[in-house]
Amino acid sequence: MTTSSNPAAALAIDVTGVRFSYGDTVAVDDVSFSLSPGEILGFLGPNGAGKSTTIKMLTGQLEPGAGSIEILGMDMPGQREEIQARLGVCFEEKNLYLSMTGRENLVFFSKLFGVRDFEPETLMERVGLSARLDDRVSEYSKGMKQRLMMARALINTPDVLLLDEPTDGLDPVSAIGIRDLIRREADRGAAVLLTTHDMHEADSLSDRVAFINQGTILTIDTPDNLKLAHGQRSVRIRSRQGDDVNEQVIPLDEVGTEDRIREAVSAEGLMTIHTEEATLEDIFVEYAGRGLTG
Amino acid sequence: MTGSRIVAIMGKDFREFTRNRFFVFITLLVLVAYVAVFWFLPDSVDETVHIGVSNSVLSTDVGGVTESGTAGFALEIYSSEEELKTAVEEGQNDIVAGIAFPPDFLESAAAGETPTVRLLVPAGLPAEIQLLLEGAVSEIAFGFAGTPPPVDPITEAVVLGVDRAGNQISLQQQMRPLILILVLMVETFALSSLVAIEVQQRTAVAVLATPVRVVDFLAAKGIFGVGLALSEVVLLGLLIGAFAVNAPAVLMILLLGAVLVTGFGMIAGSYGRDFMGTLLVAMLFMIPLMIPAFGALFPGSSPTWVKALPTYGLVQAIIRVTVDGDSWSQIAPSLLLLAMWGVAAFIVGAFILRRRVATL
Repeated sequence: MTTSSNPAAALAIDVTGVRFSYGDTVAVDDVSFSLSPGEILGFLGPNGAGKSTTIKMLTGQLEPGAGSIEILGMDMPGQREEIQARLGVCFEEKNLYLSMTGRENLVFFSKLFGVRDFEPETLMERVGLSARLDDRVSEYSKGMKQRLMMARALINTPDVLLLDEPTDGLDPVSAIGIRDLIRREADRGAAVLLTTHDMHEADSLSDRVAFINQGTILTIDTPDNLKLAHGQRSVRIRSRQGDDVNEQVIPLDEVGTEDRIREAVSAEGLMTIHTEEATLEDIFVEYAGRGLTG
Repeated sequence: MTGSRIVAIMGKDFREFTRNRFFVFITLLVLVAYVAVFWFLPDSVDETVHIGVSNSVLSTDVGGVTESGTAGFALEIYSSEEELKTAVEEGQNDIVAGIAFPPDFLESAAAGETPTVRLLVPAGLPAEIQLLLEGAVSEIAFGFAGTPPPVDPITEAVVLGVDRAGNQISLQQQMRPLILILVLMVETFALSSLVAIEVQQRTAVAVLATPVRVVDFLAAKGIFGVGLALSEVVLLGLLIGAFAVNAPAVLMILLLGAVLVTGFGMIAGSYGRDFMGTLLVAMLFMIPLMIPAFGALFPGSSPTWVKALPTYGLVQAIIRVTVDGDSWSQIAPSLLLLAMWGVAAFIVGAFILRRRVATL
C-alpha cells in the first residue's frame, strides 16, 4: 500500500478488478478502467447498472470487496483523507443544507476542506448564482441547487472530479453552462468521471465513454471510435422533385460513391444530407441488449 | 485539522438549530413554562392533621391528651357542634374532620355510662383516617374514665424506602428532577431531528466525501448534542435553584445526563425517516426514560424494573444531592450507574449512527 501521495502520478484514477456486493447481490463485478489528468470519462448505463456504486467506492463511501483503486497514485480507501482533500464530488441527490444560504453551504465545506481565503462569490459567479448567494437554499429551484452542487464540488480546486448526473434537472441553457464549466475544469487538468443518462452530453463532453450494465463494463472507447465501429458508413440524402421527396442512402465504402454523392448534391431540390453513424444509445443497445432508460 | 473540522460541523449544527423555528420555540417554551410551573408549586409540606373538637369544657384536657402523645395532630376548638359541623363542611382552618363530644361527656364517662360521640367527616375522607379518629375518641374516653385500654400495643414502624417523617419532600423538590429530565428529553428530540435531517437529506454523505473522518463527524454530533442538552438543562437548573447545594455534583450529574440523552438522540435520529418518524422513535425512548422521574413524585421504594431504567441513577443522584444534601461519596453509586448508562448509550448511539451513515 502506498503511504504517501504521488502528485506526479500518470493516471488520475486507476481501477483494477473492483467488485462490490450488497449482500448476495453483486453490484459491481470485476470493473477496471483508468483516467488520465485532463480527461473526461463518461460512464453510461441504465439505473442499477453499478455507476453510483462505482462512484461510492471512488469517494471512499464503500470499500471494494475485491480489486484495487488508486487515485492520484494513492490507495483508496487506505489513504482516504489525502485523496478526498483533492477530490470534488457532485452527487446525484441534492444533498445541500436547505436552511443555510448558498454562501454558508460553500463556506462550511471550504472549512471541511481546509481551504484558506475562500471566496464563495467567485465560485457562485462561475455557476451563475452570484445573485442568490445569500438566499437560503430552500428557496432555490432544482436547477439552482444543481448548480450550487457543482460549485461545491469545485471548492478545493480538485484534481479529480466525480460528477453523478451533473446536469440533471437543468434547463438547456444552464446545462450548457455546466458543460462548459466541466470542459474548463478538464482543460485545467482535472480528471473528470461523469455519469449520465444523457447521450448527447456524454457524446459532446467525454473524451472516452464506458458502457456499464449489470455491474460490468462492456466497453470503453472514444465516442468517435465507437460510432465508427458500430455505425453504418453511409450518407442519407433527401431531395425534392416536384411534389415528391426522394431519399437515397449511399454507402461510403463502395466503388463510385464519390460520383453518386456529387451527382446527388448537384441535383436540384436538395434538402438534407446526413451521415448514418450510430448514436451512443444504439451502440449501447447493441452491447447490452437493452436501452439506457430501462 | 480534525479539531477545526469538528468545530465547523458543530457550528453548522448550531446554525441549523437556531434556524429551525420549531426547535427554538420549543426550547424557549420549555424554559419559560417549566420555570413558571416550578415556582408556582408549593415549596413545603404540612404534615399536621387538623381536627376540630366541639365542647369547650373538654378542649384543654383533650388538647393535653393529644399533644402529649401524638406529633403533628392539631386541635381546633369550636364552642358548639353546629359551628364544628360548618367548619368541617367548609374545610375551615384545614380541618379534615370533627369530633363532637356531648356536653355531659365527662359525667357520663366517669359514671361508667356510654356517651355518644359524633364524628363529623367530610365526604371522601379516607377510611383510614376515619378509623384513626374512632380510635382516638376511644382513647380519650378511656383516659377520662380512668380505665386503661383493653390492649397496650407496642408499635414498631417499618418504613419502606427513605423515612421522610418530619422531612417531607415538597412538590417543588419532587418536580425538580422531572423538569430537568423533561428538558433533557426535549433536547434529545432536537438532536435526533438534526441527525435525522443529515441522514434523510444525505448531507452526511457530502460531508464524508471531504477529508472529514466518520469519527470526526460522530464526535461533532456527540459534542454538539451534549453541549446543547447541557447548556439548556444548566440554564433551567439555575432558574429552579438546582445548584443551591453541591453545585459541582449537580453539574456532573447533568453532564452525565446530557451524555445519556445524546446517545439516545443519535439512535433515534438514525432510525427516523421523517419528522413524525423521528418524533415517534424519540418518544419511544423518552417515555421510559421519564418514568424514574415520575416515580420520584411518589414516596417509597421504586420497583426493580424502574431501577433498571437508564435515568434511574440520574433521578436518584439529583434528589439525593438537592433534597438530602448527600455528599459525593454518598451519591457515588448513583453516579456510577448513570455514568455506565451514559457511556453505553453514547457508544451504542455512535455505533448505530456510524452504520446508518455507512449505508447511505
